[in-house]
Amino acid sequence: MKLFNFSQSRSLWMMHFCTGCGAMEMPPTMTSRFDMERFGIIPMATPRQSDLLLITGYLTIKTLKRVVRAYEQMPTPRYVLGFGSCTINGGMYWDSYNVIKKLELYIPVDIYINGCMPRPEAIIDAFLKLREMIAKGEANAWKKYIENYEWYKKNQSEVFDVEKWSIKNEK
Amino acid sequence: MSILYFFLYLLLVTVIGLLYMGVARKVTAHIQNRYGPPIYQPILDVLKLFGKRHTVTHGVMHSLGPVIAYTGIASTLLFLPLGNHTPLLHFKGDLFVVLYLLVVGPLGMALGAGESSNPNATIAMARALSLMLGYEIIFFMATLPVFYHYHTASIYKVIQAQGVFPHWGAIIFPISFLAALFALQGMMGEKPFEIAIAPHEIASGPMVEYGGKYLGLLQLWHAVGIIVETGLLVDIFFGPQNIIWFFIGTFIVFYVVILVNAVMPRFRIEQAVRFYWGIPLLLAILGILQVYIWR
Amino acid sequence: MLKNGVLKMKNEEQIKKDIETTFGELVKVHIKRRHRIKVDAPKNMTLPILAYLKQRGFHQFTLLTCVDWIKKGMFELVYNLYSLDYNVHVLVSTHINRENESMPTAINIYEMAFDYEREIHEMFGVEFEGHPRLGEFLLEDWKGMPPMRKDFDTRAYVEEKFNVKDLTKELFTRKEQPYRGPGSNG
Repeated sequence: MKLFNFSQSRSLWMMHFCTGCGAMEMPPTMTSRFDMERFGIIPMATPRQSDLLLITGYLTIKTLKRVVRAYEQMPTPRYVLGFGSCTINGGMYWDSYNVIKKLELYIPVDIYINGCMPRPEAIIDAFLKLREMIAKGEANAWKKYIENYEWYKKNQSEVFDVEKWSIKNEK
Repeated sequence: MSILYFFLYLLLVTVIGLLYMGVARKVTAHIQNRYGPPIYQPILDVLKLFGKRHTVTHGVMHSLGPVIAYTGIASTLLFLPLGNHTPLLHFKGDLFVVLYLLVVGPLGMALGAGESSNPNATIAMARALSLMLGYEIIFFMATLPVFYHYHTASIYKVIQAQGVFPHWGAIIFPISFLAALFALQGMMGEKPFEIAIAPHEIASGPMVEYGGKYLGLLQLWHAVGIIVETGLLVDIFFGPQNIIWFFIGTFIVFYVVILVNAVMPRFRIEQAVRFYWGIPLLLAILGILQVYIWR
Repeated sequence: MLKNGVLKMKNEEQIKKDIETTFGELVKVHIKRRHRIKVDAPKNMTLPILAYLKQRGFHQFTLLTCVDWIKKGMFELVYNLYSLDYNVHVLVSTHINRENESMPTAINIYEMAFDYEREIHEMFGVEFEGHPRLGEFLLEDWKGMPPMRKDFDTRAYVEEKFNVKDLTKELFTRKEQPYRGPGSNG
């Protein structure tokens, strides 16, 4: 288990799911200026392969449906990183009719970065913090999702029709 | 006893293959003016993937696909000599067995990916199997002169027949060697021929529904595949080497492949097949003509 | 372009004159500034003007937008056209009643209007006669009043939908929370 935590902390594959304006901060983080691959963090194409879900910026209800589906497809352990103030309390979309206000009501979040938008330095800092948490075995938000599944589903059903948007034909 | 021997052999090749993948990432990073991950990064990736928990299955064949792929590539190691090291099995015509076993990997992937019923996987398998139409013919035609010259189709016998430095296959048949290098690029699925994987286009193709342990097994398949494919080239064209020089040789061949990979964009499938049936095919035919005229 | 201290607006004036002579008194044409003409047209004249302008060289349908004039009880629909030949924008605007009035569709003249009309229908609830596919477009599963209308109370909607007591004061107080928020340990 210790070996697994160590290797998990050194190799985080993040899902390439970009919402909102935070996606703009990812290219400099990936490429030669800040180079996040030296921490073993690389973007992956599908949720089945990835460990880390970045919510980069505001999340509309329409996107939330897809995010929940993608999140449920990821193999455990899985980690969520909330980006910017929009995921914390809605940010500048605090009275928007179509943007969710608090991300952790719908999916569990391991770590937040504040700012609008956070600089690549802040993102790298968050990755390092997350890495530390995983190595110590503290990043356990995915367990909360399994334990409090009904509570999360209830919150989700307040903003959209969970029955209609859940994965049904899983073999 | 020989089973234990084989597993040690497999472990060695797997670890070295994973290190090669790490070197590939490091080299690509340096070319892109980045620092890059540590060389042992793929080993950590595989360890992590084997620790993942997967609750969803897409059917029996989907789970068996990576196993078939890995077994196929591992069983080629039975016939593949590492340099002048005697392989576990060798007989007349084992080259054909190796060429057939190399197809088992993609085929296992095709079976597994097909069951996931993901359209991306289906597209990718169609592409991978059509690409095979390009490189398989070239590779076979490029190795044919060597085997024809030494009157044997056993890899082990060919190595023994070549002798020391100036009598290497690569020096006697330079044109065929060049054609085989072209074919190798497609066989390894590196950049100009990265059509089947194409992460930005069809979401990593056959691997699209694989995660966790299955993906870990596919990584191992890829790692062993690197050594087997480059090793085949080194065995056929560089004569008898001791095991250290064998790995140095495979590394040099792999390095060339990586350099090409790092600076190339991606072909479309019909461009790739058309490319293979152009210059590389011509080179392969010239190689055969050379051995015909020589005799 | 500056001659004797006066901006020369040859194209604009020519177009203005042409529209006025073709459509008569009912249509009012204003030159707002260089490169921009506004045409105020009654509802039944709008589509003929669009057809005329397209044939006159305005091939690009840039945008269809809508303004909610709630005090007048009117929607203003603005068709933005542009011509590369003259380098002129023409805004054709027309007013319809907020309730119970529909607009004939412009997709037979400009195909580009297809998605814009769907969007206006969804965001403001304007009906376009003859449009083949006025359905759900950007908002999924939306019930109730279209959100871009002026009488849509977005704060009340947010407070009700996201279960927030008073949006301006205490942002997020919920009754039941099974554990401390996961964000607090990060």
